[in-house]
Amino acid sequence: MTTQLPPGMHIETVDEKIMTLNVGPQHPGSGHMRLIIKVDGDYIVSCDPDPGYVHRGEEKMAEYRNYIQNIPHLERPVIHDSSNILYPYCLGVEELLGIEVPERAKYIRVIAAELNRCIYILYWLAIYGIFLGHSTMFMWPAGDRELFIDLLEAMSGARVTHAYLVPGGVRNDLPSNFEERCLRQVEYFEKRLREYEAIFYQNPLLKARTEGSGILSRTDAIRLGTTGSVLRASGVDFDVRKKEPYDVYENLDFQTIVMKEGDSYARSRIPYLEMFESCRIIKDALKKMPKSGSVRTKLKPNPKGGNDEVYRRVESGRGAIGYYIVSNNRPEPYRVKISVGSFRNLICMPYLLKGEKLGNMPAVYWGLNYWPVEADR
Amino acid sequence: MSSGTDKDVEVKDTAEEHSTNSENTKPDSMSKDEAKKFYEEKGLDLSPDVPVKPKPIPAFEKSLADKVSSKFGDKISVDYVRADRIRVTAKRENIVDVAKFIRDELKYDHAESVSGVDYPDSSEIEVIYHLGSYTDEKLGRQIFALATRVPREDVPNPGSDSTRTPSLRDVFYSVEFHERECFEMFGVYFEGHPDMRRLLLPEDWADIPPFRKDFKIKGR
Amino acid sequence: MSTIAPQFRLSRFIGSLFDLIFWVILIFSLVGLPIVFIVLFYIKLPVINGQLMTPYLAMTWMADPSRTLPIVKSFMHTTIFRVMAFPGFGFAALLAAATIFVERKFLAKMQLRVGPLYCGKIEGILQLMGDGFKLMSKEIIIPAKADKPIFWLGPLLFVGTAGAFVALIPVAPGWVVANPSVGLLAVFAVIGFFPIIAVLTAWAANSKWTFIGGLRALHQMVAFEIPLILSLLGVVILSGSLNLSQIVQSQEHFWWIAFLPIGAIVFFITILAELERIPFDLPEAESEIVAGWLTEFSGMMYGLIQLGTYLKLYAFAGLFTVLFLGGWNGPMVWPPFPQDIITQGITIGPVTAHFPGLPLFDQEMLNGTLWFVIKTVGVILLILLPRGVFPRVRIDMILHTGWYKLIGLAFINIFIALGLLYAGVLGPGGLLH
Repeated sequence: MTTQLPPGMHIETVDEKIMTLNVGPQHPGSGHMRLIIKVDGDYIVSCDPDPGYVHRGEEKMAEYRNYIQNIPHLERPVIHDSSNILYPYCLGVEELLGIEVPERAKYIRVIAAELNRCIYILYWLAIYGIFLGHSTMFMWPAGDRELFIDLLEAMSGARVTHAYLVPGGVRNDLPSNFEERCLRQVEYFEKRLREYEAIFYQNPLLKARTEGSGILSRTDAIRLGTTGSVLRASGVDFDVRKKEPYDVYENLDFQTIVMKEGDSYARSRIPYLEMFESCRIIKDALKKMPKSGSVRTKLKPNPKGGNDEVYRRVESGRGAIGYYIVSNNRPEPYRVKISVGSFRNLICMPYLLKGEKLGNMPAVYWGLNYWPVEADR
Repeated sequence: MSSGTDKDVEVKDTAEEHSTNSENTKPDSMSKDEAKKFYEEKGLDLSPDVPVKPKPIPAFEKSLADKVSSKFGDKISVDYVRADRIRVTAKRENIVDVAKFIRDELKYDHAESVSGVDYPDSSEIEVIYHLGSYTDEKLGRQIFALATRVPREDVPNPGSDSTRTPSLRDVFYSVEFHERECFEMFGVYFEGHPDMRRLLLPEDWADIPPFRKDFKIKGR
Repeated sequence: MSTIAPQFRLSRFIGSLFDLIFWVILIFSLVGLPIVFIVLFYIKLPVINGQLMTPYLAMTWMADPSRTLPIVKSFMHTTIFRVMAFPGFGFAALLAAATIFVERKFLAKMQLRVGPLYCGKIEGILQLMGDGFKLMSKEIIIPAKADKPIFWLGPLLFVGTAGAFVALIPVAPGWVVANPSVGLLAVFAVIGFFPIIAVLTAWAANSKWTFIGGLRALHQMVAFEIPLILSLLGVVILSGSLNLSQIVQSQEHFWWIAFLPIGAIVFFITILAELERIPFDLPEAESEIVAGWLTEFSGMMYGLIQLGTYLKLYAFAGLFTVLFLGGWNGPMVWPPFPQDIITQGITIGPVTAHFPGLPLFDQEMLNGTLWFVIKTVGVILLILLPRGVFPRVRIDMILHTGWYKLIGLAFINIFIALGLLYAGVLGPGGLLH
């Protein structure tokens, strides 16, 4: 080849026995991304993920807006988990600007984050169910999500894109009678969750299909730098909420779920079990929360960060989210880098899918807790 | 529970936050005391822009940073040591050695993110690896930021110009996709990376790397 | 003035109605009547009052309403009626439509939804019609590099084969479209066509997804055809016949499922696989291979495939009923036709009307149909149930199940049947016969 191809383009020769499949972006089992899969018969020979179909340049946009204006658009990468993706941004900006958060606001933030985590996991679980052809598991979590969406709507006023967390606390106080309502709905939800166990997780066909498929060993999970449920399914006890507790997580009673198997089944089960822990956290936080007080430290208008930088991270539904914020004495951040769990878990995809059967592709792919929109940012 | 007056203030506050030229904005000519008085009259809490009191340097982080600096001496510079965060800048010739030392001696085992920061004024691009550890219990809350600077060219030609640095992919396997992203967004070529293709951008992207400061968003 | 039809004029509306009536009469007399006569020449007409009806006399039903019912009755005994209406296509399509509606409501209740709700006022009962019209109005898109004749032929062949399968199912005593003496072999032969159609259309569409889906369909159906055939041999051994009507008659006192439960279970599982229903819907697994071998079908071509699928579902459920659940056999619950109406006619005030030719259907046939429908609908519901409970399995698991486990179980079933036969419990001269 004499012509110089631009970077990113290359010419490849294909074996006749090998069939190349474009799984996505227009494929019911792909989401907003493409997997270039080569199959030999029913076995996947290689997999090349091609994300970027929903890349919106959130990091670049953040350089043009001040610290407060950044809130509503930085939650866009994953609107189902909007509180959690805003959380590290708020923590980072608070550290940059030196703001103290009121005690009650910390608890409210934790409650909002855990409610949002449940919303995300339920949405993820719904799609995991339908990817495996289990339509009941699609409908049940999608319906039960409404419980938490209603609660967050009562808190923030919006059903999906809450923009509830702000640097310095939360946007507004809880409505009256929120505590009783939240407690009632969480208790009902825990009852519903136990029904999922019977219809989905103890289903013999599901177990036969996902157990032992796409095994990620502990060493590899660490080496590939995975995070979140993928990491914990491989037997690594790492949760940012425990290891680097932010706000009031150290006062709250919960535990990290760790499984040793490292297969698709364990990866699908860990988020499910974490929802029980989220419910525990919510109930505990409601108990320990100060009943009154300020919920927001007022920022001065157009605040400026110093010549400084900060890296803060939290645990989201898909793993650790880290914000690296560089400021240079201006109202806008100089650079915002969002390191998201989905992007970090993307590296597992070629690794795990190689040598798998084509039928295992949805289970492995969606079991990685990969959210294409978040990974592209 | 928020009272009525609180809410009034809050509405005003939000309005101020979004407009830089409102009447409540601090005039630049004011001194610090004047400014404080100005805000107290408005009923606003004045928080300092920058943390005032310097925090003490924690011992454990200091020991980690000392290990690195005693090994490499003046080849590296320790930028700061704070609670849970260490930042070290290395020259790009040494970065692989420093990374290997961090992996083997300090037990950091994965990269959380690889960020590029563009500094057109000093004509440099900074590449920062945020490293973390899963294996070592003590390092659970630590983040080690390893930075290096590469020269920046005004007319970039990604892959063929002098904006290049050795890849850390052989040291930390997990940087593979992060470095690809850094390559397409900043034009930093990572030598020794096995698969230096674009990741997020379209294959036919023909502009300069978009996260450089001289790439302007349209309409801004 | 109405905003919906601003140009509305009553006089023009009435005029258009007259236009319509004129054209209907004209077309009926020019086209409709000749067709009616052609049909009348082909069907066997009854003898009424010692006089053979000719097509010309048959048209006198307009003048003499008392001849209507005998003509209708004779029409019901023609082959064309059986193929098109009662035990054949029309009945099956109606049941299939009911099945789709029931499936959607049933699944919705299982999943805490409401299902179709708005179309047709009552619980969305007309949703299916709406879907059908939508499919009909959609553009049929043929892939540019498709093998067009075969691609066009695929859905037609599929519906045709499903219709042929339906034709072999006896619904009531004497009510079956085709009654060959080796009916079960004919069923096997018809089932053998489905994988061929799947592979043909999959190959003709010239797409990777249809290709993989077609291969999966082929693997799956071939793997499950052998246990399907083997599981039915027990019934053939015990009843001593391959004719489906005789198999039903042999179950007058007890159903074969009582003696051959293993065979029934194996057959039920193979039904799920042959119908490509969850958990065995691998050829259409949407999260893996888009829609499998149906990927490139659009518009009414897809609608025909769906129609064929549901006809197939009805036929398989009917076959299960016929072979294991005693077909039309059941206690007589249908009330007899009131004798008064036959002998005295209906008297309303001063008027007495006599209806020669009543009753239209005999009591036995109605009772048999009732029991057949009840049992078949039960089996259909059982076939639909796994969709709400199970996830999809993988191709290696399904092939392992088909080739190893089900064939073994089918052989055990045959040995049970043979044991019952040779021990003298069942069969000719057996204890229970």
